[in-house]
Amino acid sequence: MEHILSLLVFFPAMAGLLGFLVTKESIRAYGISVSAIEFFLSIILWIGFDGSNAGYQFVEYLPFMPSYGLSYYLGVDGISLFLVILSTFITMIAFIALSIKNEIKNLIISVLFLEMTMVGVFLILDVIWFYAFWELSLVPMLYIIGAWGSANRMYASIKFFLYTFAGSVLMLVGILYMGFLYHEATGIWSFSLPDWYLLQIPFETQLWLFGAFFLAFAIKVPMFPFHTWLPYAHGQAPTIGSIILAAVLLKMGSYGFVRFSLPLFPDASVYFLIPVATICIIMVIYAAMIAYAQEDMKQVIAYSSISHMGIVILGTFAMNAEGITGSIFLMLSHGIVSGALFMLVGVIYDRRHTKLMRDFGGLASVMPNFATVYGIMLMASVGLPLTIGFVGEFLSLAGFYRISWVMTLFAGTGIILGAVYMLVLYKKSFFGEVVHAENKTLKDLNAQELTALIPLVALVAILGIYPKPVLSVIDMSVQKMLVLMDQKAVEQTTKEVIIKANSIGGTH
Amino acid sequence: MLEPISIDVISLNLPALLPMAILVLGALAVICADLAVKGLNRSFLTMITVLFIILDFGAVVGFNGPSHGFFDVLLLDGISIIAQVIILVASAFFLPLSLSHRHFREFRMAEFYALFMFMIVGFQFMVSSDNLIMIFIGLETSSLALYTLIAMHNRAKAFEAAIKYFTMGALAASFYGVSALIFYALTGSVEINQIGKILMQREFEPLVGVLAATVFMLGALGFKLSLVPWHTWTPDVYEGSSAPLAGYMSVVPKIAGFVVAMRLFEMLVSSGVVWLEQILYILVVLTMTLSNLIALVQEDVKRMLAFSSISHAGFMMAAILIGTTQSNSALFFYWTLFMFTNLGAFTMLWIVRHRKNLWDERYQHPFSKFSGLVKIMPTTATIMGIFMFALAGMPPFSVFFGKFYLISAAINSNYVSLAIIIAINSAIAVYYYMKLVIFMFLKEPVTADARLYATNASTPLKVIVGFAAIITMFAIVFVEPLLTIITKYVAASGF
Repeated sequence: MEHILSLLVFFPAMAGLLGFLVTKESIRAYGISVSAIEFFLSIILWIGFDGSNAGYQFVEYLPFMPSYGLSYYLGVDGISLFLVILSTFITMIAFIALSIKNEIKNLIISVLFLEMTMVGVFLILDVIWFYAFWELSLVPMLYIIGAWGSANRMYASIKFFLYTFAGSVLMLVGILYMGFLYHEATGIWSFSLPDWYLLQIPFETQLWLFGAFFLAFAIKVPMFPFHTWLPYAHGQAPTIGSIILAAVLLKMGSYGFVRFSLPLFPDASVYFLIPVATICIIMVIYAAMIAYAQEDMKQVIAYSSISHMGIVILGTFAMNAEGITGSIFLMLSHGIVSGALFMLVGVIYDRRHTKLMRDFGGLASVMPNFATVYGIMLMASVGLPLTIGFVGEFLSLAGFYRISWVMTLFAGTGIILGAVYMLVLYKKSFFGEVVHAENKTLKDLNAQELTALIPLVALVAILGIYPKPVLSVIDMSVQKMLVLMDQKAVEQTTKEVIIKANSIGGTH
Repeated sequence: MLEPISIDVISLNLPALLPMAILVLGALAVICADLAVKGLNRSFLTMITVLFIILDFGAVVGFNGPSHGFFDVLLLDGISIIAQVIILVASAFFLPLSLSHRHFREFRMAEFYALFMFMIVGFQFMVSSDNLIMIFIGLETSSLALYTLIAMHNRAKAFEAAIKYFTMGALAASFYGVSALIFYALTGSVEINQIGKILMQREFEPLVGVLAATVFMLGALGFKLSLVPWHTWTPDVYEGSSAPLAGYMSVVPKIAGFVVAMRLFEMLVSSGVVWLEQILYILVVLTMTLSNLIALVQEDVKRMLAFSSISHAGFMMAAILIGTTQSNSALFFYWTLFMFTNLGAFTMLWIVRHRKNLWDERYQHPFSKFSGLVKIMPTTATIMGIFMFALAGMPPFSVFFGKFYLISAAINSNYVSLAIIIAINSAIAVYYYMKLVIFMFLKEPVTADARLYATNASTPLKVIVGFAAIITMFAIVFVEPLLTIITKYVAASGF
């Protein structure tokens, strides 16, 4: 168990390199096996994880370039544990569901490299390495969208790449400035996050740094008005790209808020609370309204992703344990649900080569299993109680309720709007008569697709009914982070907001 | 009666001249050998030259005498030694590119190799002196050799390039002369050190004179370093030269120029003259930004790389503007990493060079030529992609660390806005580097014939590319020791 984190990060990349030597015929099986092993490793990590310990576990520390302040620093806590499992799980499921046939070898190798960067982002505690993984994740994704996407893929992939890259260069300046601050305060260089957590940063400086990090995260999430790359990317990406993008890559941004913005800049986070929350509400409502107007199933889900990510960020900025724990749980559930939904759209697209709702109708009678799974995922997406979607959404909103009930009310309308567009989607495509002759002979889900989808359905139900094992682990680390925020805050008002949000009567 | 001049030989510190002497001897030896034996093979000439460069390298690295020598004209301080090392290493790697698969006329002539060595000697003199006259001699020696080397490529475009470079170079030389003259008139000295001291004493009066001298000097060095607005020759000259020389020009003459700029402007900037700092600041921002924007619309990879190298030069001028030990170390550090990456990129262009312009009438290496290269030659495309990612500053590839160190140097000395401008420029730059990656990876191939791309590939070229690729990919392993050495030398020479 000593080096399990390094193994988790670099195993997919190693496997990817070896993948060049695997023949075209067996590469798919190879991809599935490798990702299954990786998933298995992440489960072992969970088993070995001490749920009563809120700090970083399985820490690996290696001074790497001491004069630079760089180190190779890995660690996992409750906040990152399940995001890692989500990444490995979704990658495995995506491989199982993979239906692309051309140039599949390059595709699988790219996804394996992508897996390395995803796991790396969630596990690394040295910020320069974090930046490296963060940026590197763009390269395979660019290739996946650009090479296997649909007609307008080139534009979509370039837009995706440039938007996200441009967003993160300012983060680099912010990172270096943080290193500089640490050097000013202590006389040595360090880019490791736990070291940075010890810094008390002046209020003014926090505001600027918050801004530098905010842009990178906001583009990745994506927050309004930086969201315009996402519909293009989803619209043109192949199914596997969409699944990974929605399920994992977007979570990097929201993870960044939890991991960096809140604990490093507590005062700035509180200062910008209302503007950020306003953006979140715009995201929730505006994206939901656009989703309603879409004719393409995939676009509906893409916009619904933006809408749900609005609630994730809102929960993050609730500044209390319910909100943040809820938002992390919502990241997981959104990962599972949106991944499944994109997979389902991929299934129907493979059969009919269209994603437009008006080309369907009455699918429920032709493909009953497909309709059932779709229905379950849809309900989870809407946030129906006893599904996985409910838990996170409820907690996030309940958490933010203590900050402002009016804003929570507005955000809550997003759930209603979500129900509207999702049910309309379902009605248009699944109910009624089969009007198009081509649809009458569509085959229901095959064994391969069922293998990929059934675990997702099971998770939706299990974690919807009994989320405690996951929630309690997340909660432990979130509580610790809140104490840290409270200690680090330099302004009295910030402390008051945190105390009020938590109603814990002060931790000091 | 004239006084007899007596010079103590020891005080001349002749070992300081040894590095340059080796190459001069080498050049003469090559010419003599060519006179005696007709038809020396290019591989022989190349390898002999590389051997002389290695000897020279040994002399530079092993040098541990007093730093001044030869009537105090030579100054072998830390930055001179690092700069010479970079120059020699770059030369040793760029020269073997002459061993391409296809035969080019210039590489069959022994003069090419002799001139190449003379050029290196020029650069070495240029960086190892703080005497304006000596610097001028070095500058002109290297430049004249370089003009000729370009013209030897024997293509219509090459002549155009050489003439363009020559005329512009002549203008820059005159600027340099005027500037040195004014400095001499003002202070009665041609030594940068002395000039600095005297100007300080007089508090930079008369201001007009100092201003004029500085501006003329900026013009002269700006030309060498291809800073905006003196950059106009760069893309045309790169385009007209062979890829090895273009790559060489993007690295070596600039490092020599940077050393001179560092010696000169460091002295002026550190005096705290506000207007000078402002001029440099504007120059730096213009150079970074304009060249980046122009690079966006280029249709030819070589021209794109030319503009990108201008932008990189802008980053380096920023290091000189900041003027701390860290930023000066960042300059050499960045340039070393940049050198290997550019070596790789230009070698790739050299490999895919084809006699006929099959893809475009105007350009040798249009972007469209690289369409779908990954489907035809996956390894080639991947390696080229890595060079592009590295130049774009994507971690963990080599140039990222340079950028990282440069930006942190800027932040540490409170040039936060400059740091942000550098960061934004890196973001813009990504677009044009990505353009090539997108052409290679995402477009459909224009031809399925891999031979069209590999016409010029030979084992030495492949070895060089492989070496550059390894350094670019695994830079993370050696950046720490490299930086430690560079910082030590830079700090030792008081910059």
